[in-house]
Amino acid sequence: MTKKEKKSFNQSLAEWKRFIYNPTSGEFLGRTAKSWGLMVFPKPLSALEYTFSASDPSSYRGYIEDLRKFLKPYTLEEQKNLTVCPDGILSEQKGPVYVACQFPIFLLQACSGMSDPDFGYSQGSPCVLVKMNRIIGLKPEGTPRIECIPKDENVASISTYPNNGIIDLKYFPYYGKKLHVGYLQPLVAAQVIFSANSTKKEVTVECKIDGSPNLKNQDDRDKFLGRVAFKIIARA
Amino acid sequence: MGFGGKKGTVSPSERNPSPRPKRRPKPIQKRKLKRKNVEELKQEVVLDDHRLTLEQLSAKYSVDLSRGHTPERAKGLLIQNGPNVLTPPPTTPEWVKFCKQLFGGFSLLLWTGAILCFVAYGIQLYFNEDPSKDNLYLGIVLAAVVIITGCFSYYQEAKSSKIMESFKNMVPQRALVIRGGEKMQILVKDVVLGDLVEVKGGDRIPADLRLISSQGCKVDNSSLTGESEPQSRSPDFTHENPLETRNICFFSTNCVEGTARGIVIATGDSTVMGRIASLTSGLAVGQTPIAAEIEHFIRLITMMALFFGVTFFGLSLILGYGWLEAVIFLIGIIVANVPEGLLATVTVCLTLTAKRMARKNCLVKNLEAVETLGSTSTICSDKTGTLTQNRMTVAHLWFDKTVYEADTSEEQIGKTFAKGSDTWSVLARIAGLCNRADFKTNQEHLPIAKRSTTGDASESALLKFIEQTYSSVTEMREKSPKVAEIPFNSTNKYQVSIHLREDSSQTHVLMMKGAPERILEFCSTFLLNGQEYPMDEEMAAAFQNAYLELGGLGERVLGFCFLNLPSMYAKGFPFNTDEINFSMDHLCFVGLISMIDPPRAAVPDAVSKCRSAGIKVIMVTGDHPITAKAIAKGVGIISEGSETAEDIAARLRIPVTQVDTRAVKAIVVHGSELKDMNSQQLDHILKNHTEIVFARTSPQQKLIIVEGCQRLGAIVAVTGDGVNDSPALKKADIGIAMGITGSDVSKQAADMILLDDNFASIVTGVEEGRLIFDNLKKSIAYTLTSNIPEITPFLMFVVLSIPLPLGTVTILCIDLGTDMVPAISLAYESAESDIMKRLPRNPKTENLVNNRLIGMAYGQIGMIQALAGFFTYFVILAENGFKPFDLLGIRLDWDDRFLNDLEDSYGQQWTYEQRKVVEFTCHTAFFISIVVVQWADLIICKTRRNSVFQQGMKNKVLIFGILEETFLAALLSYTPGMDLALRMYPLRIAWWFCAVPYSILIFIYDEIRKLIIRQRPGGWLERETYY
Repeated sequence: MTKKEKKSFNQSLAEWKRFIYNPTSGEFLGRTAKSWGLMVFPKPLSALEYTFSASDPSSYRGYIEDLRKFLKPYTLEEQKNLTVCPDGILSEQKGPVYVACQFPIFLLQACSGMSDPDFGYSQGSPCVLVKMNRIIGLKPEGTPRIECIPKDENVASISTYPNNGIIDLKYFPYYGKKLHVGYLQPLVAAQVIFSANSTKKEVTVECKIDGSPNLKNQDDRDKFLGRVAFKIIARA
Repeated sequence: MGFGGKKGTVSPSERNPSPRPKRRPKPIQKRKLKRKNVEELKQEVVLDDHRLTLEQLSAKYSVDLSRGHTPERAKGLLIQNGPNVLTPPPTTPEWVKFCKQLFGGFSLLLWTGAILCFVAYGIQLYFNEDPSKDNLYLGIVLAAVVIITGCFSYYQEAKSSKIMESFKNMVPQRALVIRGGEKMQILVKDVVLGDLVEVKGGDRIPADLRLISSQGCKVDNSSLTGESEPQSRSPDFTHENPLETRNICFFSTNCVEGTARGIVIATGDSTVMGRIASLTSGLAVGQTPIAAEIEHFIRLITMMALFFGVTFFGLSLILGYGWLEAVIFLIGIIVANVPEGLLATVTVCLTLTAKRMARKNCLVKNLEAVETLGSTSTICSDKTGTLTQNRMTVAHLWFDKTVYEADTSEEQIGKTFAKGSDTWSVLARIAGLCNRADFKTNQEHLPIAKRSTTGDASESALLKFIEQTYSSVTEMREKSPKVAEIPFNSTNKYQVSIHLREDSSQTHVLMMKGAPERILEFCSTFLLNGQEYPMDEEMAAAFQNAYLELGGLGERVLGFCFLNLPSMYAKGFPFNTDEINFSMDHLCFVGLISMIDPPRAAVPDAVSKCRSAGIKVIMVTGDHPITAKAIAKGVGIISEGSETAEDIAARLRIPVTQVDTRAVKAIVVHGSELKDMNSQQLDHILKNHTEIVFARTSPQQKLIIVEGCQRLGAIVAVTGDGVNDSPALKKADIGIAMGITGSDVSKQAADMILLDDNFASIVTGVEEGRLIFDNLKKSIAYTLTSNIPEITPFLMFVVLSIPLPLGTVTILCIDLGTDMVPAISLAYESAESDIMKRLPRNPKTENLVNNRLIGMAYGQIGMIQALAGFFTYFVILAENGFKPFDLLGIRLDWDDRFLNDLEDSYGQQWTYEQRKVVEFTCHTAFFISIVVVQWADLIICKTRRNSVFQQGMKNKVLIFGILEETFLAALLSYTPGMDLALRMYPLRIAWWFCAVPYSILIFIYDEIRKLIIRQRPGGWLERETYY
């Protein structure tokens, strides 16, 4: 009996110790290290739902304008002062001047708005941009990428641009608004392509960060920590 | 109009109305009727049966004076008039008592808060799909606080009333009646009007009786009139006043000795005792001072809440919020002003004091009465038993032409007198032998003074005195057996006994004691130092002087003399006491012994403490003016050197009417004078005399005196033990009954019970009451202060549109968590100065909570605390990337659940949940900051005038309180899982220190304020900030 009690006491003591400093996650007093939040564009008005009709341009005009506006800093014109950075490595800098890396908009391919100014909405295959929240000093490990999966694969398939939803490490770390002038956060576009044989044109898509051990994509409370879910409803 | 006559006309259904058919009488009518009855009951007892001759009496009640009622008639009368019992006062049902706890005073404020919360939640629920549940939870918590506190105080009071019930004597009483010529024992409740009743020593009188015959009957009327002396009773009509005449015995008084027969002239509620009992239950009881204070406090708080609420309601409308939001804000602000924890704090503080008082022999029946004693400005005290020891004791002796003082203290220490004189031994032998009192058996282990005796009070006093100062009375009686005696009666006023002499002379000695003037008539010689001298003028004058002197002390004086009977009456002589066949003149005078019911030892000190505490002590007694005045002088109610108009007149040899009344501070008012006074005259007496004794007062007059004092604005405490005191006890602001000698009725009517019957315990009670009033002030000041750092976050949230700095959960953690123990610990704070040296508080001007207290708590200390909280809040947000100026106006974006990339001052982007974690961390930090600044607040609230360095930190509970609140705060912040349960997050250690400078600031700020108050008494700062 006493032994059992002692054990439980030791257990709870261990819990407290782990609480005060958790060596595996580097948490001190339960404070979580920072993680990306994911956010999608265009920003819908209410819950994350995009409703449009391919045959009615007025139903998606708002989305297109929003996307254009958001992509404005990404035009080649705007980026010409930015640095072309080597792929695949972190752009750690010591200052005093911090340079920002180019994010060429063509990486977004079909969703870049260059070939298709309607971002696929007029074809019934809408583009949604996924971006990561800026966090100062965050250095992702491994090869982070955004993976988007439709809830029902029979209804639709997703194409991500850049290919495989890769996020290049060269855009990290971020040094803050004042120091890191002109910084562009990397984007991933997800294009929803409804199956031709499916009558139902409605799908929920979940995108999350993958391939990086220090970036969480699962939090009970925060539905936007390393992931985002949105719904596309295409009317006739 | 006589009792009996009236009763004949009342039908049973009217006398004892069954409640069912008249279930809903019109309430107004009922109240009017009740008031009329009470006024009627306040009138003096009107009774004329004592004036009737026996024939008239027999006719009036149609009863045979030797055979009594026939059993059939008695049965009929019983059915007609109902049983001979007092209608118990309408007891409040338990659920009503419980509801009073739930909905009285302070609770109402919290209920209002709770209801407002539910309304706000309802509005939010109606217009918003997913409203924050904060208002719902707050409402539930408020309701829970009221219910739990209500249960607690109900439980506390139920415990006191249980003690009360244990006092009740449950043994059914029996009475001896003669019906149809046969004696029978029946239950007292079956006694009917006109019954022929026989009582003997030790019986309780079963109803109001008109005596038709008696043998040496004496009754103890103390519970009715307050006279400690047993009164003799006989069939003679001796006084117009039914309370004074000898031929009436009263229900529930006791027959001490002798036997008597009488006719029942009133039963149950129509007896004199019954009338007093009904008068008591019919009296309306006023509000306790603390209840009035709490009402005043609630008014202030409500005004503050409405002021804040309406101001910010207007402001939020101007700022462009919608009506609905503004209403939610309004409710939120009003509710935030409710001090959730204060109800519990006040209840616990009062309970703690009640417990402390109970340890000092003051049992408090009603929690609120705890403080009432502290506000008391007048004490109307009974004499017998409260101020005095309620036992006759030998006080003075006079022999050998000298007055000797006997020891009257409870412990019998000190004083001695000339025991060497031969006169003394003669006197002692007479006192011991010519004495019918005896010790009851089996009490040898008790000290003599504590032993109980048979016989009347004076004889018992003599018996104990002789046993203590001379020798064993039992031995004395064995050696000189009594051969004959003439018992005391009121016509003779003496008592004679004849004993065999101790020496072997086989002759007898006649001993006599009695009223001194009667004794002197029998004497022709007197004893001086053991030698017999013939009586002369000088001795007669000395006797007169001594008699007057002792009588003037209010003492009961007895004279003693003896005669050695000649040998013709030697052993075997048949003494006949009915037709006296022996010589009974030319006796030898020995001395005088005087007795008094002496004051309790602690009383004079207690009275002088009351006086220095500005409390007027008025003696109200049924006893005679001379005795009352003597005791009043003895205990200091009439202080040394103080004279009544009569004293001055006697000293200056002028008529009383010529005495300058302005110079007279002391007065003894006789009940018969009081009877003819109107209320202006009574007010005049009460206002213009500081030392007042009311003697020979009736129960109704006691009530009038209490009302008079209350009319003059005094808060009146009344002590009493008898049934006669209960109307006054009930009417008083605080009625104090005696635990040992008190009657059940008086205990029922009282708010407080002195378990040791000692007046000095009242003084302790006053001290505790005053202390708790001071400490409640401090406690409330402490609790209210944190209201400002609790409200301002919400106000800033509305006005500046910043993220909410402090949430509902954390506010509740302060009000019902960390603030509780420290606030209660202030109840243990010792007094700053001698609280018994200042005047009683003026209930009109000195409030528990006044504008200055609110001004200090809200306007000054609270504001500094709010600054501390906001400072911490801005530090944490800035450390997380949100600079203060970027926060202004951020509220809508901040609280937008779908905005998951809110940008901070550094360009970082935050999801909703991440922001909320920071926000809740801020709530936690704001909460911790309040705890830190409350440390300082607690220390400054310890004193209102003195420096903490003068007061010291001796209050261990307070130190525990500081540690406890700190530990609790840390626990709430750091326990794993708190982020899920209460949304409280662990803080960096550095964030604890943000508020420390403010804590120091509060301490220094208030120390300086108090320093200036001390240095400039009555100055501006004191007038503006001393609460």
